[in-house]
Amino acid sequence: MTAHAAARRRITAAFADAGVTGLLHAVDIDTGTALGIGSDTLVPTASVHKLCLVATLYRQSSLGLIDPTRPVEIPAIPAEDRAPGATGLSVMRDAARLSLRDLASLAVAVSDNTAADLLWDALGLDTVNATMTGLGLTRTHAVQTMRELFATVREDAAGEPAALTDPAVVARLRALDPTRTNRSTPREITALLAAVWRDEVCAGEYGEELRALLGLQAWSHRLAAGFPFDDVRVSGKTGSLPTLRHEAGVVEYPDGGRYAVAVFTRAASTDVTLPAADAVIGGAARIAVDALRA
Amino acid sequence: MAMKGIGECLSLLLMDLLLHLRYFRTVAEEQHFGRAAALLRMAQPSLSQRIQRLERELGVRLLDRGARGATLTPAGRLVLAETDLLLAAADRLAATVARVHSGAVGTLRAAVPPGLGATAVAALLTAFRAHSPGATLELRELPTADQTAELTAGTLDVGIVRHPCPAPGLAFGPTLHQPLGALLAAGDPLAGPPELPAAALTGRDLVLFPRAEAPALHDETLTACARHGCTPATVLAANGPDFTRGLVLSGGAVALVPRTPDEAGTVWRPLRGTPLTWRTSTAWPEGKDSPAVRLFTDTAHAVLREHADMRTAPSARMVFPRPASEFPL
Repeated sequence: MTAHAAARRRITAAFADAGVTGLLHAVDIDTGTALGIGSDTLVPTASVHKLCLVATLYRQSSLGLIDPTRPVEIPAIPAEDRAPGATGLSVMRDAARLSLRDLASLAVAVSDNTAADLLWDALGLDTVNATMTGLGLTRTHAVQTMRELFATVREDAAGEPAALTDPAVVARLRALDPTRTNRSTPREITALLAAVWRDEVCAGEYGEELRALLGLQAWSHRLAAGFPFDDVRVSGKTGSLPTLRHEAGVVEYPDGGRYAVAVFTRAASTDVTLPAADAVIGGAARIAVDALRA
Repeated sequence: MAMKGIGECLSLLLMDLLLHLRYFRTVAEEQHFGRAAALLRMAQPSLSQRIQRLERELGVRLLDRGARGATLTPAGRLVLAETDLLLAAADRLAATVARVHSGAVGTLRAAVPPGLGATAVAALLTAFRAHSPGATLELRELPTADQTAELTAGTLDVGIVRHPCPAPGLAFGPTLHQPLGALLAAGDPLAGPPELPAAALTGRDLVLFPRAEAPALHDETLTACARHGCTPATVLAANGPDFTRGLVLSGGAVALVPRTPDEAGTVWRPLRGTPLTWRTSTAWPEGKDSPAVRLFTDTAHAVLREHADMRTAPSARMVFPRPASEFPL
């Protein structure tokens, strides 16, 4: 346990050195051995909540309650306002038709907010929340879709985009208050990932497809950056809002060791581009995983 | 007997009513005159008389007296609900007055960051005193990280912090910008012209505060240097003006600091176009902007602009989030 205490100290120091405060929970998926810093603190999940969304889609599908291949019509803009975002359907312009599970791929691969909202619309906030409660995750709760979340950000910034780098404005964003936005805890997010990897969310081909989907994320500047090893597989989902940088995922070693890790950070700086704050997510995760593997 | 002022009559009446209501509440809670009298440490007949007096005063019967005790009448239940509100308000009033007497109210605990400059600190104290002669300002010098910890813990009411500053639980006043310039040895070739471009410092040894003191500000400063074409050969850490000046005087090194008076062989030169600034604002615990806190923040804003070379934002900076930033602006 003293080795874990030393790891926790190194992680806290790494967070401070990167100019962030951070929470972390890492758990060995097979033994349950865990290491955490603020594991049970409520955090605004931002796009990390897409994990709950796609897990619910696959659980509902495995129970025969929804068809994951069901097509969804996406009208051309501006027929319907798409959720704001810098990737995927949020930046595309023309009409399309995609299945629910392909929307899930986009929501994970490039954090596509429009794809995520089409899934929120198809599944419903209540179904996702009930699924999380059913898995024992009682503090994991969604209260809004991505477009509703960004509407509060726009409102709080009084429609002035540059205001989102103003510390006084960022301090009062409702989207950063875990009691007023989608929320969870580091421990519960790793519990969800561990359940996915243990076939407890859905088994068989649904479980395999869900895990493959969670390995599709295009960026590697956060969690994956801490594991620059060809033979180590990193699956994950990031989440970001002004000053918030998160990622939760699973790290799998060739010796069979597999670890669910959730890292939630808040930077002191309001700058949007902060490579050190992104990288410390991987750095902290590696310290934790190394301690669990020791 | 001398005539009482009307205010005094009123206050006696109110005190009396509150006292009688407390007696009434105790009887209602205990549902028994004997037990209530024991709790109130008074004789039962005296308590009964006072309740009867209250009933006469209000013109309704509040309690039904039976062999087994006292039970509330319907009117009594209504009066009890109002009694709870009245007594709670009275308790709050008493607590507030107690805080004023104990000095908790009337003293503002405030802090400034190190290196603000003697002139600015003096001006801040003088101006606050001038605007609020009755209040006491307890001013300390604390680094931003310590200030945020104390603001959160409730041992500090308001502070002047440097950004980036962790925000949870805090509210901030308007941001002010303090330009950084180059502190050079008087004989340095760069000291000739009245100002110099940041890029001219490329390849030089740069002196900055120790990174561990404020990693985010350290990184932000060097990123801004890079953005304006300045890539230093090495970055040296110096804590405090004396060591900084020593490194500069020893030759070769250039310190990045806010405006500093020229003295003892060093000169300060502004950077062309003000590419580097340190951001400052007031900060206080969210939702706790008392009149004294507001007076401090307004005073600080004016003093910092006048005495610490701080200015409002030059112009809104362009922000181009990258796709991996995940949120649109």
